[in-house]
Order: sequence, then C-alpha cells, then structure tokens
Amino acid sequence: MSRSGTCRRTAPRLAVFTAALVFAGHVLAGVDDFPATPPAAGPAPTLQLPTPWVQTLANGLQVISVTRAGLPLVTAQLVVRSGGEMDPPRLAGLAELTAELLDKGAAGKTAPQIAAAAEALGGSLDAAADWDQSTVGITVTTPKLAPALALLAEVVRQPDFSEAELKRAKAQAVDDLRLALSRPTALAALAASRAVFGGGAYGHSRRGTPASLARIDRLDVRRLHQALYRPDNAILILTGDITPAQAQQLAQASFGDWRKPATPLPPRPAGATAGVLPPILLIDQHGAGQAGVVAAHAAPPRGDQDYIVGTVANAVLGGSYSARLNEEIRIKRGLSYGAGSQLRAFAGGGIWLAAAQTKNPSAAQVLDLMLGQFKRLASTPVPAAELAARKATLVGTYGRRLETTAGLAAEVAALAVHGIGLDELGKYGAQVQAVTLRQIENYARRHLARHASVVVVGDAGAFAAAIGKEHPKAVLLESTALDLDSPSLQAAAPGK
Amino acid sequence: MTKRLRPAMLLATVFLIAAVGSPSPATAAELAIPPIRYQQRTLPNGLQVISAEDHSSPNVAVQMWFHVGSRDDPRGRSGFAHLFEHLMFKSTRHMHAEQMDRLTEDVGGANNASTGDDVTNYFEIVPANYLRTLLWAEAERLSNLNVDEKNFSSERAVVEEEYRQSVLANPYGKFFNAIDPKSYAVYPYKRPTIGSIADLEAASLQDVIAFHHTYYRPDNATLIVTGDFDPRQLDAWVDQYFGWIPKPATPVPQVTAQEPRRRKNRRYTVTSETAPLPAVAMTWLIPPAADSADRIPLQVAAALLAQGDSSRFYQSLVYRHQVARQVGAEADTRVGPGLFTAYAILASGHPPAAAEKLLDEEIIWLATQPIPAAELDKVKTQLLTRELKQRQTAQGIAFALGQAALLDGGVDHVNTDLAALQQVTEKDVHRVLQKYVTGAKQVTIDYLPQAKAEPASATGATP
Repeated sequence: MSRSGTCRRTAPRLAVFTAALVFAGHVLAGVDDFPATPPAAGPAPTLQLPTPWVQTLANGLQVISVTRAGLPLVTAQLVVRSGGEMDPPRLAGLAELTAELLDKGAAGKTAPQIAAAAEALGGSLDAAADWDQSTVGITVTTPKLAPALALLAEVVRQPDFSEAELKRAKAQAVDDLRLALSRPTALAALAASRAVFGGGAYGHSRRGTPASLARIDRLDVRRLHQALYRPDNAILILTGDITPAQAQQLAQASFGDWRKPATPLPPRPAGATAGVLPPILLIDQHGAGQAGVVAAHAAPPRGDQDYIVGTVANAVLGGSYSARLNEEIRIKRGLSYGAGSQLRAFAGGGIWLAAAQTKNPSAAQVLDLMLGQFKRLASTPVPAAELAARKATLVGTYGRRLETTAGLAAEVAALAVHGIGLDELGKYGAQVQAVTLRQIENYARRHLARHASVVVVGDAGAFAAAIGKEHPKAVLLESTALDLDSPSLQAAAPGK
Repeated sequence: MTKRLRPAMLLATVFLIAAVGSPSPATAAELAIPPIRYQQRTLPNGLQVISAEDHSSPNVAVQMWFHVGSRDDPRGRSGFAHLFEHLMFKSTRHMHAEQMDRLTEDVGGANNASTGDDVTNYFEIVPANYLRTLLWAEAERLSNLNVDEKNFSSERAVVEEEYRQSVLANPYGKFFNAIDPKSYAVYPYKRPTIGSIADLEAASLQDVIAFHHTYYRPDNATLIVTGDFDPRQLDAWVDQYFGWIPKPATPVPQVTAQEPRRRKNRRYTVTSETAPLPAVAMTWLIPPAADSADRIPLQVAAALLAQGDSSRFYQSLVYRHQVARQVGAEADTRVGPGLFTAYAILASGHPPAAAEKLLDEEIIWLATQPIPAAELDKVKTQLLTRELKQRQTAQGIAFALGQAALLDGGVDHVNTDLAALQQVTEKDVHRVLQKYVTGAKQVTIDYLPQAKAEPASATGATP
C-alpha cells in the first residue's frame, strides 16, 4: 500500500487494483492486518493564498478586494478605523450605539424597511464597534451585490439617528448589558480590562454601562458619526466572487461621491493609564452556577515588532484545545469545560487574558494552575516538539479562517485598520515558523513575569476564603455594588 | 472554547450549526445553486460511505456519524451518549488518550464531536495529506476503544463542568434545557442530552464498554469524507481500514416508544437565580424530519416568524411593542417526533404573558392570512444564502451531507430539498401551521427570575 500512498493523484488504476486485493483478503487477514501505528502522512499540500488588491479613491476611501471564486457569494464590509476607544469620557458605549443605529433609519427608509431590504437580498446588515474599528457588513449572492452595496452606503453615509430609535436602542443595550454581565467570565474579563488599562481608552465597557447609556443623547451620536465616519478614515472590503475591476466600479458608484471633511481626524486618546484595582479581585455574584477565573497582563500594541512572537507564545499557553491551560485545567484534572487565553493587541496597547469557568469550590485551584502556567512560560523553555505542534495549529487555523468570504474580510480588516501591509496574509505561516524558543522566553520574561491582574467572579462564599488564604491581599466586592464607569469599579467614595 | 459541543444546547441561538434549513433559489432565474456532487457506497459490513470532492482548499474533512444519540441513553443514565462521545478521545488499543489531537491539531488540523438527540458525530479537518492517518484513527476508535478508569473519571468531571457551564452558569441555560423534558410525555427525547449530575455520577466504565459494543459498529455508522482527496485512493483506504471490522450478528436496538398526541394544553414554570429577564417558550409536536413534505413548509414558517430583524416576531415583539429583547422560532425536526418552538426573552418590566399573547397572534395571523409573495421570496433567498455560506468549506459540505443522510430522509435530500423549498407556497405554510400548531395542543414554559438569597459577604465569607 505504501506505493499508492505516495501517489495521491496519480495511478488510479493501481489504487483500484490494490483496493480489490485488500478487500478480497479482508476476511482472512482480519484484525491482525490492522496496523498498530497510524500510517504516515503523504507529502504536504501547498496552500494557495489569495492576493488582495488595494486602491484608494480620490476621497481617501481605501478599497480592498480579494477574489475567492467558487461559490457565487460576496462579503461587503465597510470598516471605519475607529471604535470604542473613541468613546468620550462618561459616554461609554457611544461608538457601539452609533454603529447599531446606522441601519435603524437612513436615506428616507425606516428601520423595518432597511431590515426588509437587506433580508430580501438574502443577508443582513451587521453593524458593531470593536476596539480600533467599527464595521457594517453583509454577505449576499453575487446577483444581489450591487443593491446590497447601495444599501450599505446609505446606512453609513445618511443615517437618521432619530430620537425614537435612540431610545429603543438604549433600552435594548441596557438589557443586553445585564444579560452579558450575568455571565461570570464576561464580568471578570471586563474587570480585568479595567485592571490592565486603568482609566485608558481600552479600559472601559465598550457596550456602555447603565449610567453612561442613560447619559447619551442624539447630539452625541451625531457628533461621533460626523467626526469618524468619513472616507479618509474608512476602508471598503469586498471578498469572494468578484474581480478587482468590479470592486472598483461598485466602490466608485456607492462611495465615490462621499465627501471628505476639511477638518482633521480627532486624535486617539491614550490606551492605558495606571490601573488602580487590587491585584486579586473577587466579585460575589450570588447564586452563580460557576466561577469565572480570569488572569490578565498588559501586552504591547499591535504595531510592536514582537506581535507574532506574542501570538506564538499565546498558542503555547492557551490558544487552542491542546495548549497548556486546557491541558492542565481540563484534560488532566477535569476542572473546567474549557480553559484558554487570548492576546488582543490594539493600536494603543494590548492585553493577555486567560480565562476558565469552573465549579465555585474549584476556583482557587484553577487560579493557582493558571498563574503557574504564566510563570512556567517565563521560566522554562518550551520543548521543541510542543512548539512545532502549536505553530502548526496556529497556521492551520489561520488558513481555514480564510476559506470563507466573511473570514477573509475579517482578516483583511484586522490588518488594514492597523495599517499593516496586506502581503502579511501570505507571509503569516513563514513568520510563525520563524519564531524561536529564545524569542518566546524573552517575550514572556518581559511581559508575563510580573504579577497578573486577577479577577474571580462567582458565588464567593464557596471560594473567597480559600483564595484569601493564598492571597491575603485579595479584595471582595459585590457584583450589585460595582460602578462600571470607574477605574476602581467603586462609586465615588473609594474603599467601600 | 466550544470543543465537543452538544448542538442541542445551541437552541439558545435561533438556528442550529448544521443548518436545519434546506434553502433553494427563490430567484432561480438569477442564480442556480450548484448541487453537491457526492458518491455513496456501503461496505459488506454495513458501513455507509459518502464522499464529495472539492479542491478549493488543500484540506480534507473526515466525519464519522453514528446513529445513536441521547434518545438511546440507558435507563437511569441520562447524558450517557454525550459522556460516551467525550470518551472516544481517550485511549484505544493503539492510541493513547488525546492522540486524536496529536493527529489533527498538532499537524495544523482540528477535531471536535457533538451529540444530539438522534446522532453523534465526530469530525476532523486536516491537511489533505493526513487523510489516510485519520481514516486509520477513526477505524481504530470504532473497533478498539479501551478507556481506563482514570480517564473515565476525569472526563466525567469535564462533562459535569460542561453541564454547569451550559445549564447553571448560562442565564438561559435552564430555560432551553427545560424545553424537551416538558414537551415530551413518553418519547426518550424527554431526557436532556446533557443529562444530570446524579445520572452522570451513576455511570460506570462497564456502561462505557456495553454502550460501545451495542452502538459503535459499522452497520450503525456513516463515514463522510469531503474536500481535497482522490476518490479511488479513498476507496482503497476505506476498504483497508474499515473493511475488516465485523458486523455483529445482533440487530442494533431501536427506540420503539410512541409519543401520544397531546390531549390538552400544559403549562410549566421554571425559575432561575441568575437570569436578569423572564422568558417564555411554546412548543408543538411535529412529524419526523424524513417527512420533508411537512418539514420544509414548517421551516419556511419558522423563518417567516423569526429569521432576521424583518421577521414577524421581531417586528412585533421587539420593534413595535418593545416587550421582548430576543425572539425565536424553529422547526426542530428529528428522527422521531419533532417540536415546533416559539420563544421570547422579555424586555425589562414586561411579564411573559405580554410576549405570549403577541407570539400567539403572529402565529395565528401567519396560519390564516395571505402571505405576501415578496415575503415568501425573502425567506427563500435568506435560506439559500445561508446554505451557500455553509458550503464554502469542506467541513460545511460534510455537515450538509450528514444532516441529509441521517436526519432528513436520505443523502439525496441535500440537493432535492433545495428544489422542494422553492415550491413551497402560502397554502403549504397555512396547511402545516393549522395542522400541527394552531389546531393542536401546546406546552408553555414560563421562565422566571427568582429573588436571590443573602450575598456571601453578608454571611462573613470575606477573606
């Protein structure tokens, strides 16, 4: 069989013959013929990565298209190079609310009319603000692309921001927030961001707080839209069954006459200021079915030369199922359904976030294991075989993300908003492979060796004493008493 | 991390991962959806093999679907089929625990598995040159599973954490988990796929061996391979690694329970300590998925009610009346009797009754009043687009084939349902809704936030 194993695409005749032979013999050969070790892989296939095409219109709008033919689908995405970090002080959630309101009335159409128009084209307009970007996107079949793009242009360029829709959106946002923060890990991650970024732009709640949402009015939304939604601060991305010529023609038709204001873009506020939270924060969410355990570190911004090193280090620590955090917490000990970490790098700072949910009484043990893995990364070299495996996972995952038009658009956007050359798409694999053990060690010593910022949210009666014993400086707060607008998470008079 | 995820829990989102919908071109003149060109054969030992070539990326998806799900959980062992699924990643005669991860993740691929009411599927995506390795590994764990006590205990603890995460720590986990137990009177779907801590604790290694012996056999399995492979080479490897596995002489046990027709409406209340807002769900019994003449119009009805912001539920409850934050409807068809479900998570300050009244009104209106042609056309276009999106990857194509072959009445449905959907008319939608929903009995579940007890700091637990 080894003969045919090496000729994957050739010698079909031989393969058929071999198959018949094996099959005829299976009754006699049976179980004893079944190999005791996995058969070796054939020669590796090569990954064909698509080449992005970039052009800038006269008004400053950057247009990027990537052809991925096959199925008649296109993803169209308008990306503004600003997001939640531009929320003014006391108006947390403004960028998100602005994005969500774009398709709630525009260019003479009501919100229901816009939803009906988008859905009649087979897609839906998805608008959201992230850090460093706000996006509105839609995926449709090719015959629907031109009207979809026209609709996209209307909501981006001529939104109504009516009083009634703002009121509706605010009520929805307050309820959504309550729902999100009733999940222990979501609240823990929000608090950990406060610990790392303090009063900086990336430290606040991007979805707002009940108090900040109440303060936002129509004028705030209009102002933010006017300041940031402009062609010289935007990118139009088209991926899928589309040629560069079609992309250019459609972009020109929908966005060519979008005027760029004469005023300069507002500056980006500082991403981080010194955090004021205690290093170990416990938040009691009485009745919580599990505890959310989060440990965070500050990370360098996206433009840092060590970004890829950090990405590989994260792949080792907690970037996948087989990475260390899941290995230690889930696979070896059965303490969680899943433990992992992410490295999130923004224009003005970054954060490492490790997280796991566990039964309340196990929170102290999970925290211990989590902190231990951060330390290990900074103190012990990663074995070569482990590093090779995690690099393969990273490169494979990246390649598969590019298989869908929406995934491709998201990866292109992630590079473009940070002004990173799009040829990085094709270089990613080589860059990951080039990262050395030494670089990871240095990176971990530089960024992960200090004390982590820890937040544990859950039914604190079951873990506060155990964590307090190990970490005497741990501070306990009530989830119902948090002031999410404050870098200390506590209302004006500090110290509860 | 959603590894080894149980799809039934995803009811919380409006649609399941493996699209239940069977879209078709509403505007076929403009756009023809290419059929999936698949091959099908059955080995002498009963293993069904379905494959479809697609060379658009250098990956291959390998999926093993077993005709066993939580409806086959042994008595007193709810959650067992799902627990068992986790154990298939542990040791076998020739593989150590987690070696499946070494053969997939470590070479740039990925793996996962899921357990539903009727089926359990194991799926991998790997660079194409690892196809042979994965076929060997799947044959190995089908024929040579060998879990030890230590791995059994630690993985059972993982599943108990999965229960806590998906049911207890998720504010609407208890709500969605209550739908099946309250909706079925006798059919084993009434036991939740995730099970209960007590039943999981009662499971033993002996149960694992017996379950594998009973259900994990070639004549109860479907192997699906899609992506970048040579079909003749595939056939040869499948014969080599799977052909020798004997077919047991005993038949595979089948569920024989008959769900009786509902004779009256029933109402239940479930409470939650952590849910910030109340919710309400209503369910009706519908025919098995293989009855595509009814299934497809029911899917269209669900889409008219709740797919997207222009849907009827959204426009009425969320937009106009503002009594709900989230709404959903689904034709949740299965091998046995299915459920048509409608639900809403309320907005602050509104009781479940406010949503229930409007859900009812919209359903009755849809079941009896004219449906604008443009609206019908809209949902067909939505479903078509969703199906095309799923077919962008080898894994997505394999899921579509598995769904059709094991649940929707036969692999040919992967293509024929598209044409059937295109033919759905207002009359069809009226007929199925009147027969199974407005003309039948419903189960209603109210989900109510419950006042919390004393917080921990007030009881002296401060560190």
